[in-house]
Amino acid sequence: MTDAVQEFEAGLARLGGDVTATFEACADEQALRAANAKLVGPSGELTGLLKLMPKLPGDRRKELGQRANQVKQAIQTAFDARLAAIARALREAELSGPRIDVSLPGRAVRPGGQHPITKTIEELLDVFASLGFEISESREIELAEYNFGRLGFPPDHPATDMQDSFFVKGRTGTQVGGGGDEAVVLRTHATAIQVHEMLARKPPMAVVAAGTVYRRDDDATHSPMFHQIDGFLVDKNVSFAHLKGVLTTFLKRTFGAEVPVRFRPSYFPFVEPGGELDIGCTFCRPWVGAGSDAQRARTDACRTCKQTGWIEVLGCGSIHPVVFESCGVDPAEWSGFAWGMGIDRIAMLRHGIRDIRMLYDNDIRFLDQL
Amino acid sequence: MKASCKWLRELGGLDASADEMAARLTRAGIEVEAIERFGRGLDRVVIAEVRAKRAHPSRDKLTLVTVFDGKGTREIVCGAPNVPAPGARVVLVEVGATLPGGLAIEAREVAGVRSEGMLASEKELGIGPDHEGILVLGDDELGKPGTPIVAALDLEDEVLHLSLTPNRADCQGHLGVARELAALFGKPFAPRLTLLPSKLLSVLPEAPLGTRALPVIESGNGHSGETASLVAPVEGVPMTVPIRIPAADRCARYVGTVLQRVAMAPSPFWLRYRLHVLGQRSIDRVVDVTNLVLLELGHPIHAFDLDRLDGHRIDVRLARAGERIALLDGTERTLTEDDLVIADARGPVALAGVMGGSESAVRASTRNVLLEVAWFDPRSVRRTSRRHGIHTESSHRFERGVDPAGVALAQRRAASLLTTLADAVCAPIGVDAEARRIAHATVSLEPDYVRAAIGDPSITDTDARTILEGLGCAISPGEHSGWRVTVPTHRPDLTRAIDLVEEVARVRGYDRVPTLLLRPEPRPDAGPSRALLVRQVRRAALAAGHHEAVNFTFLSAADLSRARVSTDAVALANPLSEERSVMRTSLVPGLLANVSRAERHQRPRGRIFEIGRRYLPSAGPTGAEERLTLSLVAFGTRDEWLGEGPSVDFYDGKGAVERIFDALGLSAAAHVADALPGWLHPRRAAEVRLAGTPIGHVGEIHPDVADAHALATRPILAELDLALVLDALAARGPRQVRALPRFGAVVRDLAIVLADDVTLARVEALVRETGAPLVEDVQLFDLYRGKPIADGQKSFALRITYRDADATLTDARVDEAHGRILARAASELGAQLRG
Ligand SMILES: [Zn+2]
Repeated sequence: MTDAVQEFEAGLARLGGDVTATFEACADEQALRAANAKLVGPSGELTGLLKLMPKLPGDRRKELGQRANQVKQAIQTAFDARLAAIARALREAELSGPRIDVSLPGRAVRPGGQHPITKTIEELLDVFASLGFEISESREIELAEYNFGRLGFPPDHPATDMQDSFFVKGRTGTQVGGGGDEAVVLRTHATAIQVHEMLARKPPMAVVAAGTVYRRDDDATHSPMFHQIDGFLVDKNVSFAHLKGVLTTFLKRTFGAEVPVRFRPSYFPFVEPGGELDIGCTFCRPWVGAGSDAQRARTDACRTCKQTGWIEVLGCGSIHPVVFESCGVDPAEWSGFAWGMGIDRIAMLRHGIRDIRMLYDNDIRFLDQL
Repeated sequence: MKASCKWLRELGGLDASADEMAARLTRAGIEVEAIERFGRGLDRVVIAEVRAKRAHPSRDKLTLVTVFDGKGTREIVCGAPNVPAPGARVVLVEVGATLPGGLAIEAREVAGVRSEGMLASEKELGIGPDHEGILVLGDDELGKPGTPIVAALDLEDEVLHLSLTPNRADCQGHLGVARELAALFGKPFAPRLTLLPSKLLSVLPEAPLGTRALPVIESGNGHSGETASLVAPVEGVPMTVPIRIPAADRCARYVGTVLQRVAMAPSPFWLRYRLHVLGQRSIDRVVDVTNLVLLELGHPIHAFDLDRLDGHRIDVRLARAGERIALLDGTERTLTEDDLVIADARGPVALAGVMGGSESAVRASTRNVLLEVAWFDPRSVRRTSRRHGIHTESSHRFERGVDPAGVALAQRRAASLLTTLADAVCAPIGVDAEARRIAHATVSLEPDYVRAAIGDPSITDTDARTILEGLGCAISPGEHSGWRVTVPTHRPDLTRAIDLVEEVARVRGYDRVPTLLLRPEPRPDAGPSRALLVRQVRRAALAAGHHEAVNFTFLSAADLSRARVSTDAVALANPLSEERSVMRTSLVPGLLANVSRAERHQRPRGRIFEIGRRYLPSAGPTGAEERLTLSLVAFGTRDEWLGEGPSVDFYDGKGAVERIFDALGLSAAAHVADALPGWLHPRRAAEVRLAGTPIGHVGEIHPDVADAHALATRPILAELDLALVLDALAARGPRQVRALPRFGAVVRDLAIVLADDVTLARVEALVRETGAPLVEDVQLFDLYRGKPIADGQKSFALRITYRDADATLTDARVDEAHGRILARAASELGAQLRG
């Protein structure tokens, strides 16, 4: 009886003695769990000790049972503490260990690049939309009557040289109409939107349309296919001053409020008075340090504006009475203005594209950069 | 149009600098694109007199020339063949000078003889085209030895490059530009032109019947015949030529003036130089004078060799069909009944207003000349010019409209110059055939209208009147408070009140137009803009990883057939080239060209899309239907995290389409189709349907089409019509959501072996139908072919999600449903549970 008590007490003393040191000696979780199992596992020392319990005298059993429990608790506490310490050490090692190579590529689905033409069109249309214009569109294969005749181009007039057109072959294989109003052309501008809209509904109206246009030019600076935004506004008592105000606002919003705008007369058959709006060259920025030697040197070296400091961006004017008359709108009651601007050059300016061919080659190495 | 500032100053009495003129003109709508400066960089280039010349001791092509430069003599080694005799004056480039071409002149030994400078040609000096020999000055040129040539030859000039809009016919000559400048600078305009002939025939002829006489000396202007010397007419040479204008609607007026005894010789330096700075070549004195008058007055004129005009008569008539004429440019043309010609008794001698004939042209042997000054109908000249593809300085001006009232001035100016420069003797009258009078236009104008149209109430009546009168308009009182404005004949572009408004705004300067804003009234019934709907599609395609392309919409018929898209295309009547001669019927050829280009540049993988129109012949008013289309291509290998995966296949294309429609909130599905377009693989492609309606196709390229484009990869293509998609987008409301499930789901996998031709769609339909209403979702998570599964079979591993919306699902119910599914798959699809 006493032997059992002695053995039990000795076991408890042994177990409760240096358990902390035993656990400290364990370098990792595996060793710790093994050491713990040796103590409290199914065939561990404490488990073995507890098998002595029935042999203990009844009056000591409760007390010794409580002590055994305390030892077990102490082992558990030491185990937990060591396990936490080992986990912490591992975490510390991870946090202070070698960095990952953050320069390896990200694992993403890359969105495609938007073409500079459509990107530019979207942004310019947004500005006009914010100024209250509706966005519309019309056909590219157009009656000469809509592209020229109703817009006031006189027949056999050099004004049509400004817009040398592609004619469409008739179904019979010959040129439709031989160049008269009944001919069918690839539209040379998006201006026919005026005719379509004015024939379709009554003023007031304010419409802008972007699209592909075609002229029979092909050289280093002209592509036979290019893009334009055309727009117009018809209302009562619209003056040339309104045109200047609205389009100047558009240009300042688009290119920056600091960019100067120049308005000078020009000629298009469908407007009168007609003009062109230039912006200060956004490449050599002649308004920065205007008049200084540095500015002059910059502008003198500028290929974008051909040393002039200005870039033509937009043709415009008050809508010619001829256009109103040809569309059944009374020019005595209504007035308005119209404009058209080429997109390609603006897109090239914005994206630093030097060669117009890059716009339509769709080289994947070009598209990759967008 | 090029304009010499020196000439403009002479004509208009202006003293403005070239830069001032350019700025003012540009501000008024006559854009000056460039200013070319002449007579610069000729320091240390002086007049020298030849004193002696001798042969070079060892080189027979070289001459040793002793020249006097005003201070002393020096010897120059000269290689030119035309060293003149002593006494003649030449141009000496002194040692130390640098020529405009960059050549620096030093004293140097030439074949053993020291040369103290250089004798120069026009071309070397940059003052003319001649490089055959050194410039030898004529007796009529000024300049003592030692005078710098810039001063001696009056070389300093600036030439404005004007970009004239087609409405400004009046500025096609220096006189018109000078008049415009005077108006812009607010100066009176009184052109200084010598109009007096120096020699006249001593006999006064009469105009033939039906024509009038146009005297070459204007009566009552203070000049009279006695300042001109009188010379007897040449025997047998007519003094007048009868002129008839049967084509009266094509030629309003034709004046023919005879000049006898012309001296055909090279022009003096000043005339050659004037032509040179304006980009024209000197020919001979007669031709140079006609060109000078054209450049000065903007009125093209022509000189015929009088002795070569058969029958000594002129008819201005329409050509007969098939009539032929040999022209000055060396070509021979067959004419149509719409071509206006000048004809003699035999046939056409000139294409009216376009180009003279070679037969009747003046030449070295010419002695007598008929000078033509006429006004031809602009449309007629333009049609002939375009029909024959001949664009000349003359046709350019007539097309735009020359001043019908300028005929007499041009006749007098040319007569004066020809008598002075070409030593000609002018008949006292020209024969003036006037088919019709072109009247001055009159326009009613209210000053209030000017203010309202410009939007500037600060413009006074006086401001407007001063500007219009400065431009040559005459103003008299009209109805009510308005004006009756008589427009000068040199401004055929001013026909309506609004044209005069522009003149006022233009001359004042658009920078002075006020800036007013207005806000368009929003339209409540404006629907969604298609452009904005297209943007949604574009965003979705970009988000699906496709780059956007913008391809040419015209291509060659061969491009269409190579890509096996419809060749029933809208064709151009006048394409620039065969490569761009028909409108595309599909976006596929463009995308394949993009793929081909990428492969050529060692970038054989990628994804591209284009949104654009296809053009299909139709019965509509323009004969074409324009269909907005989305096309996609994926080619090369699929992306992996590092490196490349396997090549893209049908499912990449299908996935892209699904992804795009998911992003748009629409559901499009690929379906087996019996009829596929020719560009698709017949076994690896599908029809795409939007809510059951076919909208296009997706699939692998037909291998033969890939071969035809020499492609190394097999691109996956899709082409979808956007019309229905945009309609669906416009009609689509906000996305609707369902309540979240309250009870948990049970997931069971099912691996079955099936015959290869059983599609997933059939299996999935069977699972959903059989397991209804508990089956919530079916996902294929593995597809396997190969051992141990028999050939012609495959294994599908499906993950089926079961859920009861209203109760907790028991295992028993799931087991029952799952078992039912397997049993039906076995009986209907021959499926076996995979072991
Ligand atoms: Zn610049």
